[in-house]
Amino acid sequence: MTGFTQRLLKRETHSSRAPLSVAAAILVSLLAVYCLLEALLRAFGQPEWLVDPLTAADRLSRLPAGIPAVLLGSIGVLAFLLGLVFLAHAVLPGRRARHVMADPRVVVVVDDEVIASALARCARVAAGVTREQVVVVVSAASVQVNVRPTSGIGIDGGRIQAAVDSEVAAMGLDPVPTVAVHLASTGVIGV
Amino acid sequence: MNGTPRGFNRFLLGLLGLVLLVLGAAVVALAAVPAAGSWWQGWSAPQLESLRALAARTRLSPTMGSWIWVLAAACLLVVVIVMVAWIANQGKGRTGILLERAGSAEDDGAAGKVVLSCAVAEQALKSALSERTDLASAYVSSWNFRGQASLRVRVLPRQGVAPHEVAGDIGALVESLDRLLGVQVPVLVSIGSGARSRFTKAERVR
Repeated sequence: MTGFTQRLLKRETHSSRAPLSVAAAILVSLLAVYCLLEALLRAFGQPEWLVDPLTAADRLSRLPAGIPAVLLGSIGVLAFLLGLVFLAHAVLPGRRARHVMADPRVVVVVDDEVIASALARCARVAAGVTREQVVVVVSAASVQVNVRPTSGIGIDGGRIQAAVDSEVAAMGLDPVPTVAVHLASTGVIGV
Repeated sequence: MNGTPRGFNRFLLGLLGLVLLVLGAAVVALAAVPAAGSWWQGWSAPQLESLRALAARTRLSPTMGSWIWVLAAACLLVVVIVMVAWIANQGKGRTGILLERAGSAEDDGAAGKVVLSCAVAEQALKSALSERTDLASAYVSSWNFRGQASLRVRVLPRQGVAPHEVAGDIGALVESLDRLLGVQVPVLVSIGSGARSRFTKAERVR
């Protein structure tokens, strides 16, 4: 695998952080535009719009006084939480729910949802049940197949396992997930 | 595969996050700890006085304010420009030229240039994919990824369609496109599910 392909796959399987970046940029620029307005009004000797910069600095310097402590504390907690969200977005890897599929010519990434729906179909055919009786959960390293049998009709867990295993092997996913089949102890009637 | 500056996104988000964390913690300390409040008042009052004195000393004319406000405005303007540039850089990188090759008189007897538009590959792939009934929709776009024109094929299969079969078929289509064009373009196939493929019923007969 070449460096070009690797870079491409890294970008496709990880989040770009673009939406939060745009939100942060809008937030900062709105704040900056407002401060710009007040600074310019002050520079040209015009009356202020909301608050004069020196008055604002004066209020800031006397801070615990002049504002209810609860309000001040909640503003602080809010800023702290917002900062935590930004920092977490900057530091966490941000993996997307996607797998890479092997192909000789093209580079393929598949959303986990598509894999789950294909495996559900495969498990449903192997078990001989309806769509509503199969739930498949796909995560990076594991596939969990939950089957609820029809009441009075036994189903073979081994056959489902083999069918889903061979389907997963045919997909050639990276990372390779392990398959676990779980049969519900109660059945459904009227399907 | 767009040119979003991901490292820069993370750096600025991290910087902003750290500033907000420190500010938030300081404000909470001001509100909760009386000693922090008295320290802050004792420290900031002389600073404010010196700022006032500076503003009064640097007054431009009796009717105008101090030039330090002009300086502050200039700094804020730079901040706004950086923020607008940051937004403008998200999701850029579309390209319209798939291949550009200059010919020379020694090469094949004709000097000139061959330019192949991305629309050639996009429309060929899209029309081939739109005939398939197991795909709810297909989009093809071209991007300039690290100086190399690349195609991005996004397909949304219906529920239950095996993704490796779709990928194999698209791979075969791309190989025939390679033969048609005479060049190998990097192709990314992204198989996903949208609202349309999620809510339409599964194909029962194929």
